[in-house]
Amino acid sequence: MTAGIIRRTFLAATLALPFLGLVAPAHAAGERFVFVSHAPDSDSWWNTIKNALKNAEHDLSVKVEYRNPSTGDIADMARIIEQAAASNPTGIITTIADYNVLESAIKGAIAKGIPVVTVNSGTGEQSKKLGALLHIGQPEYDAGKGAGERAKAAGVTKFLCVNHFITNTVSVERCQGYADGLGVKLGDQMLDSGIDPTEVYNKVKAFLTAHPDTNGILTLGPNSADPTIKLLRDMGSAGKFKSFISFDLDSDISKAIKDGIMEAAIDQQPYLQGYLPVVFLTEYARYGVIPANNINTGPGFVTKKNIGLVEKLAGEYR
Amino acid sequence: MTSTEPITAPPRPPKAVVPLIEVRDLVKHFGPVVALAGVSMTVNSGEVHCLLGDNGAGKSTLIKTLSGVHPPTSGDFVVDGRPVVFSSPREALDMGIATVYQDLAMIPLLSITRNFFMGREPVKGKLGPFSFMDMAHADRIARDEMHRIGIDVRDPQQAVGTLSGGERQCVAIARAVHFGAKVLILDEPTSALGVAQTSMVLKFVRQVRAKGVGVIFITHNVRHAYAIGDRFTVLNRGRTLGTYAKSQIKLDSLQTMMAGDKELQDLSEELGGTV
Amino acid sequence: MTETSRIESTAAIGAARDERLRQQSGLRRLLSRPELGAFAGAVLVFIFFGITAHGTGMFAADGVLNWTTVSAYLMVIAVGAALLMIAGEFDLSVGSMIGFAGMMIALPTIVFHWPVTLSVIFAFAGALAIGFINGLIVIRTGLPSFIVTLASLYILRGLTLALSILFTNRTIVVGMKEAAEGTFVGFLFSGTIGDPLFTWLADNDIIGRLPNGDPSVRGIPMVVVWALFIALVGHIVLARTKVGNWIFASGGDANAARNVGVPVGAVKISLFMLTAFCATVFAACQVFEFGSAASDRGLLKEFEAIIAAVIGGCLLTGGYGSVIGACLGALIFGVVQMGILFTGVPNDWFRVFLGGMLLIAVLFNNLIRRRVVGGR
Repeated sequence: MTAGIIRRTFLAATLALPFLGLVAPAHAAGERFVFVSHAPDSDSWWNTIKNALKNAEHDLSVKVEYRNPSTGDIADMARIIEQAAASNPTGIITTIADYNVLESAIKGAIAKGIPVVTVNSGTGEQSKKLGALLHIGQPEYDAGKGAGERAKAAGVTKFLCVNHFITNTVSVERCQGYADGLGVKLGDQMLDSGIDPTEVYNKVKAFLTAHPDTNGILTLGPNSADPTIKLLRDMGSAGKFKSFISFDLDSDISKAIKDGIMEAAIDQQPYLQGYLPVVFLTEYARYGVIPANNINTGPGFVTKKNIGLVEKLAGEYR
Repeated sequence: MTSTEPITAPPRPPKAVVPLIEVRDLVKHFGPVVALAGVSMTVNSGEVHCLLGDNGAGKSTLIKTLSGVHPPTSGDFVVDGRPVVFSSPREALDMGIATVYQDLAMIPLLSITRNFFMGREPVKGKLGPFSFMDMAHADRIARDEMHRIGIDVRDPQQAVGTLSGGERQCVAIARAVHFGAKVLILDEPTSALGVAQTSMVLKFVRQVRAKGVGVIFITHNVRHAYAIGDRFTVLNRGRTLGTYAKSQIKLDSLQTMMAGDKELQDLSEELGGTV
Repeated sequence: MTETSRIESTAAIGAARDERLRQQSGLRRLLSRPELGAFAGAVLVFIFFGITAHGTGMFAADGVLNWTTVSAYLMVIAVGAALLMIAGEFDLSVGSMIGFAGMMIALPTIVFHWPVTLSVIFAFAGALAIGFINGLIVIRTGLPSFIVTLASLYILRGLTLALSILFTNRTIVVGMKEAAEGTFVGFLFSGTIGDPLFTWLADNDIIGRLPNGDPSVRGIPMVVVWALFIALVGHIVLARTKVGNWIFASGGDANAARNVGVPVGAVKISLFMLTAFCATVFAACQVFEFGSAASDRGLLKEFEAIIAAVIGGCLLTGGYGSVIGACLGALIFGVVQMGILFTGVPNDWFRVFLGGMLLIAVLFNNLIRRRVVGGR
């Protein structure tokens, strides 16, 4: 799997999009797809993906149902995938939030002859082992490692990883990747912040007070980034940190980058994780064509240099 | 024990027999508060002994002491001629002293049968730790007992909540008697009831007395007491003002003694004796 | 029925009158059954989805398996919650207990290499001990069980997370499927029964087949067997035994029950142990089905269990309810939860629908209760 192939496939798919919109109405055969995510109801980051699904529905004249376990319990997610398979959709798009838990549900859908594309969480190897057509996402450990390497270049020695979703294995991998990129042990530098903004704010504050030599921060998404940004603004201590990087984007994060509080955001371009699988599965259903390789939608780093367009669309399509 | 005994002619309490319960100079302190300052009374078999007194006279404390909820601070408590000290209501119950509380008598949502046999379930067969209730037997007894009271019980599995207040009191009394109560302590059994229901309860108490049960009837309603009582003990500020047989005292004087206050008595007369 | 007729009836009891009244009692008895509301609700739900989810695969074999499994998992904890609620207490730690019990099975197996059977026994013993402590604190202090078990909710959830991070540095402990391979406990909690029946059904085209020729449903998952077993035992104990009468009495009026010698404390403590037991059965089924234990398992399940019990006719105030009702409540909850996905209604509306169901169930119960207690 070389980067060249990925880029070419990706490019081809992107170029094809406008034309698909034109031909689709002729094929409005009532394709129905189910998109299953692992996010709890309260996670607003998935809004971008939901918007992408709506656009894809409209552009391709298909129906896409978005499903998630309301508490983020992956065992519940397995039931939703089983349910989706029982409802005989044209295709299923799912995250691999936990390989072990979802294995039998996803394999069951595939055994029933339903095409499956995996997105977001999980790796290409896992996707292949399950028998899915392809995986569209961002390798989380590598993304974390990339951020860690950036932080090392900036001179970070002690860091804080604010983890708002500690029960998800993937979030721990991001922190671990960062630590490895920095070349230090993760140890007690990962904070279980919870998802409530006030709680995140106070826990981060307490941690930074207790560990005054911390000079790097990694937040795993808007849920942990936004309160942390507010805290740094409130305390006026942003300059103390050599590197503050967050996963994902929203308007607060974009503003923080513009203001120089935050160094960079790791953008996995979630829009593509919502839009592309619907396109691919539709084409697969209509013409039997599908890219032969996995697609990495990230990590892309958004910095002060390229924030312009990103900021305008943050939280909606970026 | 049959239900056909006469209910109109109460037998005189027999003389020179051992009383079922006798208390002498009973004292109960709650910290600095003196709830009972020396109470003496006896209850004989087959009599209704009315305990009268205004709110705060010490009626509740006396009942709770007799029924084993509170141990007395000092004084003698003799049951069947033997001195006793109860440490729980269960012990009092085992000695045949049963108390029917005004509002704790029944669980409204439960069926009559389940209420009747609560804590004393008839059992047939066991499986591991679980004993099976003999529901058919329990239903039959419950229905028979209800008939004996004079309640036409439509279905002993119906909730107690469907019964009237008077009927509930009667079921609670019947339950106590069925399980071998020799002394029955009734706490304000008529205070929340209407006229018809009160007469129903009083009739049933008379029926129970006829079986030789000693009844302690607590009330602040002198009329109800006078209608059913054989003897009357008046409590005031934690002391007994005296015990009188029905032949020794008129309704009016009982009323005066209980009110313990001339002004209230005057007011009562002004209002035509309705207080 | 008026006041006068009741007084008259106390005067004389005619046989003819008795006959007439007894007929009436049959209908009354039916109306006063606590599960009536849930039964009507279940029928309503099936009619609703029979129409709206027609042809979506909801009533094909794998669709039925899907909502049956969800209902069965819920039923396991709903029976415990219902019995405890009838005895007048709540256990809010059920959800956390599911997560914690899962860890008590997975950590010893994976980290300390215990045999799976031993880990499962350890988890059940540990859960019963925690249930005992919950109950003991409630009985001894007289604090509302709501508060006491809320504390356990946090403590157990926290311990689940802390211990899994401490021993494995991860929040998910995997490898249970491999560890349970071929063991009896593995079958006991995650096997299937009746496989030949389903093969026969597929052979006779009664249920569908997968492209590879296997029947679309392999067999009945053990969690369904567990749910029915727990429900049956719970029902018999509540309706037929002495202990059942004590459970009703403890919840109806603990003081009145104590006064007639019911061991209220012991009854309630055993029921706290029962809810912990049920949570552990849930956890064991889940751990062996998915092959892992995770620190977020069972989130909010305590409320689902209470909701199922309430839909099933249990009163939040205690003293009234039934096990069958709670099972029907679990079925309604499971069918609605999955059925709404089959209808293609946006996920966002799921909770609106669920909230509406709960409200209707409670209103219905209130109506029935007034009919029973008020009577006039």
